[in-house]
Amino acid sequence: MVEVIEETTGKDGRKVMKVAKENLLALLSDLKDNGFTHLSLITGVDRKSKLEVVYHLHNMNKNEYVVVKTETLDERVPSVTSLFKSADWDEREQYDLMGIVFEGHPNLKRLFLPDSWVGHPLRKNYDLSKVQYINMDENGDDYATFDPGDGW
Amino acid sequence: MIQEEKKNDSREWTELNMGPQHPSTHGVLRLKIKLDGETVKEVEPIIGYLHRNAEKICELDYYCDSLIYFDRMDYVAAMNMEVGYLEAAEKLLGIPPPERAKWIRVIMAELSRIAAHLVWAGAFGLDLGMLSPFFYCFVQREKILRIFTEISGSRQETNYMSIGGVYQDINENIIYMIDEFTKEFPDKLEEIFNAFVKNDIFMSRNKGIGILEPEVAINYGVTGPMLRASGIEYDVRKAEPYLVYDQLNFDIPVSYKKDNLARFLVRFEEMRQSVRIIKQAIKKIPDGPYFNPKAKKSLMIRLRGEGEVYARTESPKGEFGVYLVGDGGVKPYRVRVRSPSLKNLSVIRHLGKDVLIADLIAISGTIDLVFGEVDR
Repeated sequence: MVEVIEETTGKDGRKVMKVAKENLLALLSDLKDNGFTHLSLITGVDRKSKLEVVYHLHNMNKNEYVVVKTETLDERVPSVTSLFKSADWDEREQYDLMGIVFEGHPNLKRLFLPDSWVGHPLRKNYDLSKVQYINMDENGDDYATFDPGDGW
Repeated sequence: MIQEEKKNDSREWTELNMGPQHPSTHGVLRLKIKLDGETVKEVEPIIGYLHRNAEKICELDYYCDSLIYFDRMDYVAAMNMEVGYLEAAEKLLGIPPPERAKWIRVIMAELSRIAAHLVWAGAFGLDLGMLSPFFYCFVQREKILRIFTEISGSRQETNYMSIGGVYQDINENIIYMIDEFTKEFPDKLEEIFNAFVKNDIFMSRNKGIGILEPEVAINYGVTGPMLRASGIEYDVRKAEPYLVYDQLNFDIPVSYKKDNLARFLVRFEEMRQSVRIIKQAIKKIPDGPYFNPKAKKSLMIRLRGEGEVYARTESPKGEFGVYLVGDGGVKPYRVRVRSPSLKNLSVIRHLGKDVLIADLIAISGTIDLVFGEVDR
C-alpha cells in the first residue's frame, strides 16, 4: 500500500489524494492497475514557495475520476512517461511553461517555445515587462535578446 | 524490429520537413519525418507556431474577460469552448445559470459542433484531393454562422455566453432560423455523405488505413470521435452530463473498425445526433430569465472565486477540460486547459509508423486538428 498524506473531496466532487513525490510513481502505477488507465492532464501550479503538480486520472470503465497532487521544493518530480504515453507532451509542456523538471523523461525539451527562450512564462515571478526576441546567428543557432520597451 | 534491420542496412533514411506552410497541415503543423523510399519510418510533430500562452493571459484578466481567449482556442467551434470554460468558472464562482440559459447553451453548442465537423469534413476532402465536397460543407456551415451572426453579432468568435447565463435571449426569428436549418440539413448532409462514400478513391484511401487500437488510444490520452472510432463507447455528455444533456435523447456513435473510415463515419453520425438534440431542445426550451442577476454587468468584475475546479465537456475534438484555481481574488490564480487536439495529435507518432507518405496526410486529416487549440 502506498502512503497517502491526505484524502479529501474537492469543490467539484472529485476525490483528491495528496502524496509525497517519492511515492508518486508507486501510487500512479497502483491506480493504473486498478483501471485508471487514462491520464487526462498534468498541471503545474506555482504556489510561490513551492511547486504543486496535479494529475487527473480517469477510469473509463467505471467512470471514476481521481486527482493526485504532489509538491516539490526543488522543481523536480519523477516522470510518469513509463506508465502513460500521454504524460510525454504534458510533462514537456509543464517543463516549458512552468519550469518543472521531470526526472527520467526521455526527451525533456520545450514543447511550444523556442529552445533558447529565457524563463518559464507561467511562473508568478516571470518578468512580463521585458519583450523577448529570438534571433538566429550565422551557425543557425538561435539566441534570445531583450528589449526593455513596453511589455505588459 | 524493422527499424533495427534498416539501420544496419547501408541505405540512409531521408529526412523531410512537412510544413509548417503546407496545405494539408491545417494551419501550422510541422512534421519532421524520416523516409525510406516512400514509407514513413518516424514522425515527430513540432508545434508551437501559434502559441500565445492563453493560460497566462487568462491569469492577468478578470474571470469574465477570459472568455474571449477561449473563443480563439478552437476557433471553428467557439461556442463549445465557451461552454467548457463557463462550466468551470460558474462552479468556482458559485453562480449557476438559469434553466433557459442552459437550454440555449445546449442548442448553440450542438450547432457549433455541426459547424466544426463540417469544416473538418470539407478540409479532409481537400486533403484527399476532393474539391467539391468542400463547397457543399461550407454552404451548410454558412447557414449556422448566419444564426450565430443573428444572435451574437459575429460569425465565428461569438463571445455569446457570459458568466451566469447568455448575453442575449433568443427570439422568434432565431428559433425560426434554427427550425428551418434542422428541417433542411439532414437531406443535405446525406448529399455530402454520398459525395464522399460513393467515391472509390476516397474509400480505398481510408479503408484499413491508420488503425488505432483502443489500448493505445487510451494510453496516449485520445478522446472524442477518435476514441469512439476505436470501439470505446465514451462520451462526456453521457458519462458526466453537464447542462441538460441528461434530459435529452441521443446515441453515442461507435465504430469497431478503428481505421480512418471509422473516424469519418463516427463524425458524420455525430452530426445526425446533434440535429436530433437540437430538434428536441428547441421544443423543450423553458420560459424564464436568461441570465443570473448575481452576475449582471456591473457586478461581473467583482466576482471572487476560491478553491479548485476541474470541469470537462465534450467539444467536437474530444474531452475539453478546464482546471481553474482561485485564491479568493478577482482574477484566477491558475488556468489550465486540457485541449483534446493536442492529445489526439500526439498519437500520430504511433499511427505514422510504416505508412506511405500519402496515407500520413489522410491520417493527419482524420485527427481533426485546429491549431488555435493545439498551441493555445
